[in-house]
Amino acid sequence: MPELSYREAVRDALTRAMREDDDVFVMGEDIAEMGGSMGVTQGMVDEFGPERVRNTPISEMALAGAAIGAAMQGMRPVAEIMYEDFLTLATEQIVNQAAKHRYMSGGQLSVPVTFRTQGGAGWSPGAQHAQQLEAWFVHIPGLKVVFASTPADVRGLLWSSIYDDNPVVFFEHRTLYGLKEEVPDELEPIPLGQARIHRAGEDVTVIATGRLVHETLAAAQEAEGEGISVEVVDPRTLQPLDEDALIASVKKTNRCVVAHEAVTRMGFGAEVAAVIQYGAFDWLDAPIERVGAKFSPLPFAPVMEEFVVPHSADVLAAIRRTVGRNGN
Amino acid sequence: MATEIKLPRLGQGMESGTIVKWLKSEGDKVEKGEPLYELDTDKVTQEVEADASGVLLKIAVAEGEVPVGRTIAVIGEQGEAVEVAEDAQEEGSPARAREEERERGRGASAEQVTEIRQPSTANGRIKASPLARRIARERGIDLSNVAGTGPEGRVVAEDVERAAATGAPVLAAAPLSEDVEVEQLSSMRKTIARRLTEAWQAPVFQLGITVDMGRALAVRKRLVELQADGAKPTVSDLLTKVCAMALMRHRAVNALYKGDAIELHPTANVGIAVAIPNGLVVPVIRGCERKTIAEIAAARAELVDRARGGRLQQGDLDGGTFTISNLGMFGIERFIAVLNPPQAAILAVGATEDKPVVVDGEVVVRPRMELTLTCDHRAIDGATGAQFLGDVKAFLEEPGLAL
Repeated sequence: MPELSYREAVRDALTRAMREDDDVFVMGEDIAEMGGSMGVTQGMVDEFGPERVRNTPISEMALAGAAIGAAMQGMRPVAEIMYEDFLTLATEQIVNQAAKHRYMSGGQLSVPVTFRTQGGAGWSPGAQHAQQLEAWFVHIPGLKVVFASTPADVRGLLWSSIYDDNPVVFFEHRTLYGLKEEVPDELEPIPLGQARIHRAGEDVTVIATGRLVHETLAAAQEAEGEGISVEVVDPRTLQPLDEDALIASVKKTNRCVVAHEAVTRMGFGAEVAAVIQYGAFDWLDAPIERVGAKFSPLPFAPVMEEFVVPHSADVLAAIRRTVGRNGN
Repeated sequence: MATEIKLPRLGQGMESGTIVKWLKSEGDKVEKGEPLYELDTDKVTQEVEADASGVLLKIAVAEGEVPVGRTIAVIGEQGEAVEVAEDAQEEGSPARAREEERERGRGASAEQVTEIRQPSTANGRIKASPLARRIARERGIDLSNVAGTGPEGRVVAEDVERAAATGAPVLAAAPLSEDVEVEQLSSMRKTIARRLTEAWQAPVFQLGITVDMGRALAVRKRLVELQADGAKPTVSDLLTKVCAMALMRHRAVNALYKGDAIELHPTANVGIAVAIPNGLVVPVIRGCERKTIAEIAAARAELVDRARGGRLQQGDLDGGTFTISNLGMFGIERFIAVLNPPQAAILAVGATEDKPVVVDGEVVVRPRMELTLTCDHRAIDGATGAQFLGDVKAFLEEPGLAL
């Protein structure tokens, strides 16, 4: 089994899809010769040429619109939005066009486009370049939303996103690109809407996404030393959401923490908390804890950025609160 | 002038109904004929229409069981003063007395509940997790006696488990095991219980007969072939028709026993027992002696469909003169049906199965079906029942005789 980094796993999914299928192509700002701002598409233009690895003008609205148009004409484009902060500029196209055409045409049109993007804190790129905005898109009927946290997941989920007939907004976390994992030779597609249990536990379920999956796994390791058994579940697909898996886990552990890097207020965890309280109300033995960024624009100073976004210590504190230890 | 809305009598024998919910709120405008509330009677749940237009000034009974004739709401002009009499029924009537008794009962149980729920915490509220509450509820543990060890003194599941182990005071005298599910009786189950207990008191006798179904099955097969659309006739439909024809020749069986009189009815209104989730209903197909088998099949299909969808109206269940209960589809060979009072007879139908029988001295295999007729001896004597059942058999074996 080869070992792939998260970055290589994304590239592997794109490359395999483009080798097998002429309808798949990638487009984005500086993705050809430069290989994208994160180097994900490095070398791909040499294999596939500038027709299929297309540089676009610096206009997210234009490139998103072009990708949507190509998808409606039968292609399966993968458009890269360099920073997820820049999704704001493409939102009209994604929210009002991509998400709506299948519905408004009564199913005559479909928009099988994938918008890949990346973001997140850790490198202190400042308030306009490190946000986590996935919750916005979960709010829009007509879109699917994926947030992958490991190399194997990102590869299998990206494949399923490319071949889903609906528009998918696909979030990658910048600090995970270097993360390595052994993956099977064969690319195994991961169905959208299927959660992954990273670690089984008895006392508390932590539902985490993106970078916080890894922070949570570290916290779970520490909690185990304190005699607290933690189950770690990554929904992986935020829309559609694998509610059954999340509810089943909480019914088993009776306690729940939701953790993501985005700000807590109106974050994805708010939705998860609502799903859990409804589906597992009579099984809850403690209030659902939420872990997320403090309600602040992201600071540029590294020490301040680290203060604002959550880490494993924050997850561990929430775990302890749910089991009534060091509660405050 | 305000109009008092009283609980209507929706069918013979209806004494009370349970208001499930109001479809309008106090202060809403209401048009005559608009659905006003949902009523659960002995037999069906249905929407009841407003019988006046205006503003819904007051809902006197928000939900629960109410005797027929009781004022449950007032419709009038906006701003009109409303006085709802405590009880619109006359003093001293039996219904009134029963109602008072019920009220006393309710008062007593309400007091008990209040007493039990009296919390022991200082601020008047017990802090407990949903899981702790569920466990306490299931095991009958009084949370006010459980010390909470969770954050801010919250009672958590572990506290209840500990209390259970050390024998904390419990609400119920004998707590049920966790595995026992308690289902409160629905209106329908109460009715089934009441009516069948009543039926059990009737002096009944049973008559059994076995029918050769060869000809009847051939007739049914041919009817299905000839019919282009609509519900396909079943053996049950054929049986309904045949029973109706036999009932017309034996009117004493098409009868209702009414205590001091026996009503002999001029048409065969045949009730069909239909199993539905958590119960049983008997919708009635009227005038079966005048209907073709195709018409009976269509009526039966529609009623069964509505019965399973919970959309029967009271009128669908009234007026039956005879009932057929068929458990043949479950492979039951024979069974005894319990009378459906005030009807004087009910027919239990078993499965049609190939059996060896002796015909002209030879053992041959024939499709056979067993019928068991339960008769109320107060209305029907043995010979009458036997003649009726004999004709049913003859009509099934020689369908031409029914013409």
